[in-house]
Amino acid sequence: MRRVAIIGCGQSKHGRRTDVNQAELVAEAVWAAIEDANIGVEDIEAYAVGNMQGFGGICQPDLVFADYIAAGGKPMQRVATGGTVGGSTAHLGYYEVASGMYDVVLAVSWEKHSDSAEPGATTGLLHVAFANLSYMMKIGMDMRSFAIMGLAGAAAGISAYQAAFYMARSGCRIEHFDMVAAKARRNAAKNRYAHLKWPGCTAEDIAKTEMLIWPLRFGHVCPASDGASCVIYASEDAVRRLGIKEVAWVKGVAAYADEEADQGESYQGTAVVDYSDQTGAILSARKAYRRAGIKDPRKEIDVAEIYAPFPHQELMFSERLGFFDDGTAWKALEEGVTEIDGDFPICPSGGVNATNAIGSSGMQRVVEAALQIMGKAEDHQVPKDVKNAVAHAWGGQVQFNTVMVLGDRPKGW
Amino acid sequence: MGVDRYSGLPFVARFRWSVGKIMEKFYRSFAEKKIIAAKCEKCGYTVVPPRQICPQCYSRMGEENFVELSGRGVVESLTEVAFRLDGKGGYIWLEKPELLAAVKLEGANSTIFVRVEGDARIGSEVEPVWAEKTEGKPSDLISFRVVK
Amino acid sequence: MRRVAIIGYAVSRLEWDAEKTREEAVFEVAKGAMRNAGVEREDIDTVISASTDFLDGRTISSCMLIGASGAYLKDESKAEEDGMYAALYAAQRIMSGVHDVALAVSHTHSWIFNPHQVTQYMLEPWFDRQNDLLNEITLAALQARLYMSRSGADETHLAQVCVKNLRNAVKNPNAFRKMPDVTVEEVLESKLYSSPLTELMISPPCDGAAAVVLASEDVAEEFCDEPVWIRGIGNACDRYLRDRDLGRLNSLRIAAERAYRTAGIEDPFRQIDVAEVSERFAHQELMAYEALCFCREGMGKVLIEEGMTEVYGDMPVNPSGGALAGDAVCATGMIRLIEAVKQIRGEAENQVEECRTALAHAQWGLCAQKNLVFILGDRR
Repeated sequence: MRRVAIIGCGQSKHGRRTDVNQAELVAEAVWAAIEDANIGVEDIEAYAVGNMQGFGGICQPDLVFADYIAAGGKPMQRVATGGTVGGSTAHLGYYEVASGMYDVVLAVSWEKHSDSAEPGATTGLLHVAFANLSYMMKIGMDMRSFAIMGLAGAAAGISAYQAAFYMARSGCRIEHFDMVAAKARRNAAKNRYAHLKWPGCTAEDIAKTEMLIWPLRFGHVCPASDGASCVIYASEDAVRRLGIKEVAWVKGVAAYADEEADQGESYQGTAVVDYSDQTGAILSARKAYRRAGIKDPRKEIDVAEIYAPFPHQELMFSERLGFFDDGTAWKALEEGVTEIDGDFPICPSGGVNATNAIGSSGMQRVVEAALQIMGKAEDHQVPKDVKNAVAHAWGGQVQFNTVMVLGDRPKGW
Repeated sequence: MGVDRYSGLPFVARFRWSVGKIMEKFYRSFAEKKIIAAKCEKCGYTVVPPRQICPQCYSRMGEENFVELSGRGVVESLTEVAFRLDGKGGYIWLEKPELLAAVKLEGANSTIFVRVEGDARIGSEVEPVWAEKTEGKPSDLISFRVVK
Repeated sequence: MRRVAIIGYAVSRLEWDAEKTREEAVFEVAKGAMRNAGVEREDIDTVISASTDFLDGRTISSCMLIGASGAYLKDESKAEEDGMYAALYAAQRIMSGVHDVALAVSHTHSWIFNPHQVTQYMLEPWFDRQNDLLNEITLAALQARLYMSRSGADETHLAQVCVKNLRNAVKNPNAFRKMPDVTVEEVLESKLYSSPLTELMISPPCDGAAAVVLASEDVAEEFCDEPVWIRGIGNACDRYLRDRDLGRLNSLRIAAERAYRTAGIEDPFRQIDVAEVSERFAHQELMAYEALCFCREGMGKVLIEEGMTEVYGDMPVNPSGGALAGDAVCATGMIRLIEAVKQIRGEAENQVEECRTALAHAQWGLCAQKNLVFILGDRR
């Protein structure tokens, strides 16, 4: 099997970017990655792109700005899988090189929420809520009630439900969510690309904020950021040929999909009732570890970038991905294990809770994991030897999961 | 068997796109009835509307690369359009067909797609038709017309 | 590179308003393709679907198709473009060695939201979308005029492409638009949308779904007696509308070159037995003849005039009727791929004699900005 490495990463500045149009935003990340990898534009053989286009209002945006990212005349493939699109694009880029068709592939994903004209940048979310919950009308809900539910619910609604389930099965409390959110903002303060920075933020600061939809507080919610993230992959031969010294090797990928979580009703007839189950995440992790040759994730993985727009998801997925036993993640949090200087740092970048450009955040987890391995994470570099890292994303109706295991050496070295 | 159908959502979710600083300048110069392009220093490719990356050699460009075009151009291709889309997927059939042209502006390499008035052919020379009062908005540039 | 074969397929009927939910349509073709390939769900390692959220009228469209496409608790992803790109991604997953058997499925229900409206959203919002005359059809019309003025082809040549394809479609039980007695005059006199494009020169959007099963060389022959081998793939994307040559399908030329090189094809006209191209507009088939190097530049009109691309001709193109006989948008390219597979297997309705090497083509984007080419053969 071909060995594939990440040779360069780039991010645009995340935040509210009304100073640029969508094309310029993506170009920022792309050219930053090209510079980071120290290669020429002519070295890039193919592209992998993705975003949630319902949020940006352009159908096939990559075709509009192909020239901005030097893709003219080159092969380009696009994926779109909801919140995981960053992770899916990262996987696509990996497979493009692993297939043997290309030696150097650039993968970029992005989101520009500020192009929405609705308050709270919710144009895209409204589309999600309505389109995907339309089956409610089949069971007798009228349009007006549906509108109220959709506007209030959307991603927050499903996540609140998931948080409640998780609290029941794990025994954690809202205070733990406060702690995770505070850690995210403290870490983000050390990351120059992050959106919500709050140096010295404490759980008490978060606890003071209003309850939005139980058990989620205002202080738990992630921002709607604009941003783009980009990685450049290269085959082992290309790494040698281009003379790249610092790389992060992709050791294993997996992306198992579960059926959508629809309050106990779905089109298949069976149903996912407990959203904190996340069978897809468990399977994806297991498969990715097997492919990567990882037998004991808790011992062998050094840092994890988990996709957690809401704080309970960091705890939940850290268990599903095998880092802590069921129901013990909150204990590890209390002991400071997941702090940036802890034994098992999670989201040293601040994670999605501090910066959420939906289309970009899945890829950003890959970028951050790669930076940790290459030792290039600047102020938020974890102060330990990083041999293996995990980048994870979830999406869809809490049913998609993408997992990538990265290492400082290729598998079987 | 049949399927249930629902239509007519009780809201419209709209977009308002940021155009970026360079496009902002491009539209502002409409107020002075000017059409601005960006000329690449490295390869000479002149792109209109202007942008920060050359489509041909990918060099960076900025306001220092701005050039003002004469506004005149040549019709490269032409079509008589018989319909418009109504935004919902329906066709609105026009009483009189409108002319749409692919125009190569003098001094630029890009092609722009514009309405054309007059007896245009492929190869006709055209010039811009501006609104009476130009305010620096897209609607200032109404169409192009054949140069007499 | 690890070799990949197509071992099974299924296509739905192309209709307008199929009276099915999307889930039902996808389920049918997914099951059909697995049955055709002789595989069970347990044998499938990965599923790639293809559709676009704008066309589907819902965000994250694939999230509700996990069960229907057989992807439940499987490694899956979704390509957001023509179905042939899903087959490409599925093939890449197999070529990487990580997976052995893949299912690729694509679908579009055009009656939900007119694709001609949807493609208007492919325009750059900050400039081109300000002109309400611009849409997929009017831009294609400009492309047609440009091509015609350069090559000397005229409306009659465009109409001849329509006549060929619509008549070919008559034998195809799944096709949407079949017109056994259609004439050049009828095509020229059909409703004018944007000169020179009349209704019959524009591929008709419709509902449809298609699926293929792919397998690596290590397992293909376990399931299938006659795997159809992918001998070459080429993919390329042109620059956006304003800064590309609309009158040439440059990215198709680049894609074809790459595919030919991998497949060892030096003389396409002689070595390729049949081609299935996605001609969203009649003139694009003539442009494809040239970009695929079936003839010299500007000579596309000669091929159609002389009947060389008829089923019985020297270089048959679109014996299935092509997109002009039915365009289920995201399924269109995958259907071209399937028709090419059928030709190699000897199962096509308009079978080309002694077909051993076939070409399948898909396009995406305004005026065919992106193009993808597969070369298929009966040997590895």
